[in-house]
Amino acid sequence: MSKKQNVATTSTGAPINKKPLGTRIKNNLGYYVMFLPVLVFVIIIYYWPMLGVRYAFYEYKLRNISWVGLKNFETMFAKKEFWTAFSNTLQISITKLLITTFTSVLVSVFLNEMHNLFAKKSLQTIIYLPHFMSWAVVAAIFQLFLSKSSTGFVNETLKSWGILSQSIDFLHTKAMWRPIFYLINIWKETGWGTVIFLATLSGINPELYEAADIDGASRLQKIWYVTVPALMNTVIIVLILNLAKVLNLFESVFVLYNNRVFDVSDVISTYIYRQTFLTAIPDYGYTTAVGLFKSLVGCALVLICNYASKRIRGRGII
Amino acid sequence: MAQANAAMLQAKAKKKKVHVFDIVNYVVFVIIALIVLIPIWKVVVDSFNAVGVYQFRFWPEDFTLNGYLTIFTTVRLYRPFLNSVVTTLLGTALGLILSTLGGYVLTQEEMPGRNALSFFLLFTMIFSGGMIPEYLVMKQLHLVDTIWILVIKHGMNVYNLVLMKNFFEGIPGSLFEAAKIDGCSPMGIFFKIVLPLSKAALASIGLMYAVTVWNDYSTVQIYITNPDHVNFQYKLRVMIMDGDTPTTAYKVSQNTLYYAAIVCAILPFMAAYPFLQKYFVQGVNVGAVKE
Amino acid sequence: MKKKVLSLILSTAMVASLAACGSTSADTTATTDASDTQAADTTSSDATATTTESDTAAAADESYTLETLNIVVDGTLTATVESGQDAFKAQWEEAVSEKLGHPITLNINQLDHSDYSGTVSRLLTTGAPGDPDYPDALIMSATMLRQYQTTGLLWDMADAYANAEFQSRVTLPSVNENMKDSEGHLYGFAPTYGNGCVTYVKQSWLDAAGMKIEDIKTFDDYYAMLKAFSEKESGTYGVIAAGYGKLDEAPYINYMPEFWQGAYPSFYQKDGVWVDGFTEQATIDALARLAQGYADGVIDPDTEEAGTKQAREKFFSNDQSTSEGVFTYWAGTWLRTLTTNMEKQEVDNELGDNRLVQLAPIQEIKDTWGGYINREAPVWVITDDQDGSNAREQAIFDALLETMLDGDRVQTLWTYGAEDVHWSTKAESFSTNADDPEKKKDYEYAEGEFHLKQAPNDPNSIWKKNHLDPVLVIAPLTNGFVDNDELVQAGNKFFTENCVDAPAAASCPTLTENEAAFVELKTTLMNQAVTGEITPEEAIEQYKAELGDLSAQIVEELNAQ
Repeated sequence: MSKKQNVATTSTGAPINKKPLGTRIKNNLGYYVMFLPVLVFVIIIYYWPMLGVRYAFYEYKLRNISWVGLKNFETMFAKKEFWTAFSNTLQISITKLLITTFTSVLVSVFLNEMHNLFAKKSLQTIIYLPHFMSWAVVAAIFQLFLSKSSTGFVNETLKSWGILSQSIDFLHTKAMWRPIFYLINIWKETGWGTVIFLATLSGINPELYEAADIDGASRLQKIWYVTVPALMNTVIIVLILNLAKVLNLFESVFVLYNNRVFDVSDVISTYIYRQTFLTAIPDYGYTTAVGLFKSLVGCALVLICNYASKRIRGRGII
Repeated sequence: MAQANAAMLQAKAKKKKVHVFDIVNYVVFVIIALIVLIPIWKVVVDSFNAVGVYQFRFWPEDFTLNGYLTIFTTVRLYRPFLNSVVTTLLGTALGLILSTLGGYVLTQEEMPGRNALSFFLLFTMIFSGGMIPEYLVMKQLHLVDTIWILVIKHGMNVYNLVLMKNFFEGIPGSLFEAAKIDGCSPMGIFFKIVLPLSKAALASIGLMYAVTVWNDYSTVQIYITNPDHVNFQYKLRVMIMDGDTPTTAYKVSQNTLYYAAIVCAILPFMAAYPFLQKYFVQGVNVGAVKE
Repeated sequence: MKKKVLSLILSTAMVASLAACGSTSADTTATTDASDTQAADTTSSDATATTTESDTAAAADESYTLETLNIVVDGTLTATVESGQDAFKAQWEEAVSEKLGHPITLNINQLDHSDYSGTVSRLLTTGAPGDPDYPDALIMSATMLRQYQTTGLLWDMADAYANAEFQSRVTLPSVNENMKDSEGHLYGFAPTYGNGCVTYVKQSWLDAAGMKIEDIKTFDDYYAMLKAFSEKESGTYGVIAAGYGKLDEAPYINYMPEFWQGAYPSFYQKDGVWVDGFTEQATIDALARLAQGYADGVIDPDTEEAGTKQAREKFFSNDQSTSEGVFTYWAGTWLRTLTTNMEKQEVDNELGDNRLVQLAPIQEIKDTWGGYINREAPVWVITDDQDGSNAREQAIFDALLETMLDGDRVQTLWTYGAEDVHWSTKAESFSTNADDPEKKKDYEYAEGEFHLKQAPNDPNSIWKKNHLDPVLVIAPLTNGFVDNDELVQAGNKFFTENCVDAPAAASCPTLTENEAAFVELKTTLMNQAVTGEITPEEAIEQYKAELGDLSAQIVEELNAQ
């Protein structure tokens, strides 16, 4: 991960390495002290909760905690809702990833063809904007726009154009929910997704284009034979980086879903949330078990992606 | 896109292909820009419009400030806003302190145990306790139902720490050597050399923290039940989902108030964004593209 | 590669070891957790000084002093933060400190969370008596009480209730007698009876349709009225509610009673035997009626998503061209509140207090239930610290519930709010809508005359009540403070004349455990059936397929009780 730019330290400090460990620790005492606050925070925020995964093997209702072994996992694997949530997570996450990556690449390629620098910069500024809005805000905007009320932008506009005869409750219709979810994701993240692709494109050797010019290639041909291949490596890296995170889907779904569309929208994290916090007398043991399952699968995904990343570009993602 | 392709094919057939291609390109981009801008513009216009209309308007028909006046005079609305401001400032400060300290220490290659510490941090990106264990810990720390949960939860982000470390590695090593020879302590080097040279990095990563804390909604949803301690994102959400608008002296339509609240929720970053764009972008580039 | 293997080993080892060590010390971990937090409290916050004393209190029963009282309330405490809660709190503390002979602090946690019961379970699960934010007393619905009364978390206040000073003034003893479980334990105390919903109709809409409220006697009449209302203007509808049915809160059929009629879409006792009402033909018929209403456009489609506040705001909204003519909502005080809100929105100004008329229960409701449903009252519960002593709990009862019905100063606080903030007996005159000559209304009161003041958060309306409804309360005020609002009195009279008690809520372990799943599925199916995505029969079939076994098990458990 590190590029060893401060090689100087190591080269001139080579003798230091030969000193006994005690001396080296003493020499670096200041650094250990500086690291202490970080360590404390990491332990509190990340490691202490890891102890809590033991509740996955307990029944934890109100304040009664009792050991149940693997019962929570048996319950979980027998529950239809759990499997719905699990497969929804994978389907929604992966589709979303592929779609937004595709649109980002498309927009990047077009942006790259834009030779007016001012126009290019302005457009970049505009399309990055939605990324900095929270999901709560984006959901608020689209919920108001898609609402069935007389001020609902989309329904009323479509009706006034004669496309719709009756208002559609977009977010409450099973068939519509996922497409709308993807569209909102495209609106929010496409622009920001182009950042990384544009960085790659700016690194393309101009000689490649010049060579293509000499061969008499049209602009479309240049895009197809020079630009797109140059991006492929980055595309794969982006896909891998994000594949490791597919199970983390929570907030974006949470703010947009509703009980009418649970079948197609419920994901693992929202399932855990509802079971834990919206149930009359919840079993925290069971929901911890679901959480642990999610963590373990997520862990496996990260390691697989890390391995893939190392094979492809010589460095891991973590 | 289909139209664009068709147009491009036509363009190919013609002689002045380059020219037509550029026009198509511009048209496509105007469309893309409009797709992004129209919703935002509608939100802004409607927040000043006393009458709720579905149409897109360039200017409010019946200009009013009552939406904003309501937000900043109603305790249930302005308190969340203040909570958001306070937590964002503190969260960013804490995040910057921890990630610069951690990132700096991890650049010390001759420090024994560096790899173990690295791994100790990176492991948290692979495995986590999950929603309920985290909740129970925060409960034990008495952070549940306080605004500090937002500061603490975001104060330590391993990914940002690694980004910071990558920035620091870009500082020429000879500077450190010179300082060490001059007898500077690790802290001294940190304050006298590392930080002054990393202003851009501090800006980038500080912004990343600030955006994360300001935009956080789910932490509040999970950890905070007391309405005095929620942040603005949460309040906005509750208002629109539950239609829970407070009654005030100002005459304001629900629609106007909603849109005004949305504008307040995005305003800080929208206002700063054009000036700070390069710092926003920088963070991503260093994090992901650095090769 | 090395890292990968290492981290895999590390994570699995961690999980395994934790699980293993946990199995032997399960109970000790739980208890040390609790004591840890208590220990932390003593150092961290002065608010806990009282509760940590609970250990010693066991030894000295009499000497328990309650210095802080944490209560968790829902929206029924109308003195919210914007509406003078601070004054209420200060005056309560002053009055109760005087009564108890020692200072006491009241901490009010008013949840604005849309999910009250979920939040309460979170507070009770993750907290312990002794935490600074652990509730000493809280409000629960009848359903929640049934779920919690078997958990041991709630204190049995039967003795405290029997010996309460207010007993001599109780005029409605049956309310709390009915709350007791089969063994005579009283885990929740209801200071008022439940109240229910009646159907309100806009007079101006009736006039426009050429109809008279007295003529609406059957469902067909009612439906014809909705039909006329929905055809009034292009955006108007017949009726709106917060959901086609409110399947998460008994008595479920509050909001669209004319459509639900005799159906009861949950577990209830029919001739002494528990049954699952959702699978009954009556429910199918009710869903079919709702679906018809939806298809005909007489039911506002916003009903599905609307919360109570959204529904009522749409009903009295300034823009009547997208409103509804009928709204079934809480009886009594709400007749005044809805009327005032219509006035504020300048709707039907010429009709004054006759804007809304109340519809007598239609024949179909009279034939089945007998009238509008009077729900089981929400209750106050006291948390039990399970230390074997009643000292803390009795102290909470004395400080909170005993004073709440003192007939005088504290009861007035709970009934009307804070003196000189919400009400006053001083001579004064004020006007609402002072700058609008058409709506301006003057109020003038002599010295010593009890009256409600302008609402703290809205000078253009008059404050109504705080937590307790003076008409519904089981032991009336003795100081003679009466809000003689004719509309409220008429509303209450109408309801009492036309109501019947709701069936008792069901409770058994399996139901509690699966309550959320039932509510979720039933709500989804109901919505789908009403909007015509599936037929009512399909909805019931799907319900039987998914939860039929559980439902049968619950019915069995209930009948075995």
